[in-house]
Amino acid sequence: MGEELKRILGIAIPLIIVCVLSGAALTASYDLTEERIEAVEQEKITESLSIIFPGASFTATDDYYSATMGGEEMGYAFIAEGRGYSSTIKTMVGLYPNGTIRRIYVVSQSETPGLGTSIAEPDFTSQFNGKRIEDVRLRQDGGVIDAITGATISSRAITDTVRERAEVVLNETR
Amino acid sequence: MKLDELTKGVFKYNPIFYLVLGLCPLLAVSTRVDNALGMSLGVFFVLVSSNVIISLFRHWIPSQVRIPCFIVVIASFVTIVELFMHGYAPELYGRLGIYLPLIVVNCIILGRVEAFASKKPVFDSFLDAIGMSIGFTLGIVGIAVCREVLSTGKIAIFGYTLVPTFTQSPSVMMILPPGAFLTIGVIMALINYRSIRKEGR
Repeated sequence: MGEELKRILGIAIPLIIVCVLSGAALTASYDLTEERIEAVEQEKITESLSIIFPGASFTATDDYYSATMGGEEMGYAFIAEGRGYSSTIKTMVGLYPNGTIRRIYVVSQSETPGLGTSIAEPDFTSQFNGKRIEDVRLRQDGGVIDAITGATISSRAITDTVRERAEVVLNETR
Repeated sequence: MKLDELTKGVFKYNPIFYLVLGLCPLLAVSTRVDNALGMSLGVFFVLVSSNVIISLFRHWIPSQVRIPCFIVVIASFVTIVELFMHGYAPELYGRLGIYLPLIVVNCIILGRVEAFASKKPVFDSFLDAIGMSIGFTLGIVGIAVCREVLSTGKIAIFGYTLVPTFTQSPSVMMILPPGAFLTIGVIMALINYRSIRKEGR
């Protein structure tokens, strides 16, 4: 019995040590980087807000940011988040109070490289500029947005999340 | 010969075309040249570090549980690289973020750690990792060049156009998974044809 226990411990203890050390290293790295990562993510939001409404100042509410410039209300900006083909697509949307999209900007996504990733490029996102919310659908779904060849799922995902969130935000502001 | 440990990974035992390892991330990431370069960089970091670390501790790891130990070390390493890159190099993370987790399941890392680093001294393992990374880079970038040219009609790396657009009707299929299989198949066939002819002589 003693021999057997020794053999098992001889195998188990090194594995436990490896796991504990790795866990400790991970915890330390997480602690060291947590604040930086949060700052980086916050900066991304700030940056995308200024891309949507350059020069405006923002007041945050629970769900969206209102953009004002020189005391005058410009519109709303909010994050639309939805499931794409292989990742969560996070998009910053600028919306005029009359229900027209100002522009959109993809904050983060990890879709298929070379295919779905094209949803973040201006060729695709500029299609949203100045469109009415109800028209923001793919052409094959009765809207005005052209899907990217070979990436219909990603294109539909971003289009639908933008429209759905925009409808919710517009209702809240009224 | 120490240098052999370095060069064998590049040509003789190329991880992609000879060992046929790491095909999963290869298929996924060889759609564009800049993605391929990013993935190669990630593989280089993780392969060199885990080969060196495993080689350092090779006498303490019991052979019955070596695979779990290797996986834990590799996965932790990838996560640490990911955390630090996210916090301190957000630009680079934006480009490579999606590929970093893929490195954990890249068989080249586990394959080299198991077949080489767990038996050989640290410096040899270090050279082996560098050679294998170069071999992987050559393979994945080569395939990405074929696929990007055929699927987009041009090559653009990090915004710089290397090969200008030469066709208006490129083949979308080449960027989809079948394109990867076709490219790898054709390149492997050429390599095998050459080595068979060499043996015949």
